[in-house]
Amino acid sequence: MTVPLTQIAAGHTFDPMTFVVDAETSRAYRAATGDTLPVYDTEAAVPPLAVAALALGALLEAVGLPDGTLHANESMRVHEAVPVGSALVCDARLAQRSSRGGWVVTALESEITLEGRTVLTTRATVMCPAEAS
Amino acid sequence: MNAPDVAQVTRLLTQPMLNAYADASGDHNPIHIDEAFAKTTPMGGTIAHGMLVLSFISEMMAGAFGPQWLATGSLDVRFRAPARPGDTVTARATAQEPKDGRLRYAVECVSQTGEQLISGTAEVSA
Repeated sequence: MTVPLTQIAAGHTFDPMTFVVDAETSRAYRAATGDTLPVYDTEAAVPPLAVAALALGALLEAVGLPDGTLHANESMRVHEAVPVGSALVCDARLAQRSSRGGWVVTALESEITLEGRTVLTTRATVMCPAEAS
Repeated sequence: MNAPDVAQVTRLLTQPMLNAYADASGDHNPIHIDEAFAKTTPMGGTIAHGMLVLSFISEMMAGAFGPQWLATGSLDVRFRAPARPGDTVTARATAQEPKDGRLRYAVECVSQTGEQLISGTAEVSA
C-alpha cells in the first residue's frame, strides 16, 4: 500500500531506485521540452534536468500525493555529466517536514550516483494540502 | 572573470507538449494532462509541469555554456505561478557577481503578460 507523502516522517529514507537514461529516454525528453541543442549529441550526455525530473517522477510515484499538491522549490547541482545509457541509482530521503498555513511542507533530497560516483544532487520542496493528510 | 551574457529562450506551451512531457518524465498527474479533471480544480484547467517550464532555464544555460553546464551546472529556483497551455514562456538570465570560482546568474521564467513563473539562481563553474 502506498503511504501518503504527508504521513511520512522527516528523516525517512526511501528504498534506492534504479533507472536507465538511454538514448530514447533522452530523445523523448528533449523532444517534449523542445530542446534542439546539439551539445547533448556532441557530448553524448543527457540533459541534467532530465535526470532530476526522472528521479523526482520515480520518487513521487512511490508515494501517495493528494490532489492539490504543489511543487514549490527545486534545487539541482551537477557533479559530473551523465552519459547517455547510464544506469543510475537514486538514494532519497525526506529531509524536512513541517506544517504551515494549511499545508504540509516536505523537502525531498536525492543523491543520484553512477557506478558509485555522485553525478547529481537535488532537493525538491513539495506542498500538500493539510486536510488531505 | 566576468559572466557572459546568456541568450534567452522563448517557447509556446501547448497541451500536446504537456502530454509529451508527462510521457517523457513519468509525471502523469492529471492536473497536467486531464482537461476535464483540471477544470474541476481551483486551477480551472491544466497547468504545465513546473519541471517542464524549468527546462527552458536549463536549456538556456546549456546553450550558453555547453559541456560546462552539463558537468557543473546548478539551479536553485522557486515556482511562483503556474503556466498554462497557450502561454508563451521566456527564460532569461541576468549576470551577477561571480562567487567561489563560479559564474552566477539571476534567472527567471516570465509569461507573455510579464508574470513571473519561476525565479532563482543558476551557477556554472568558470
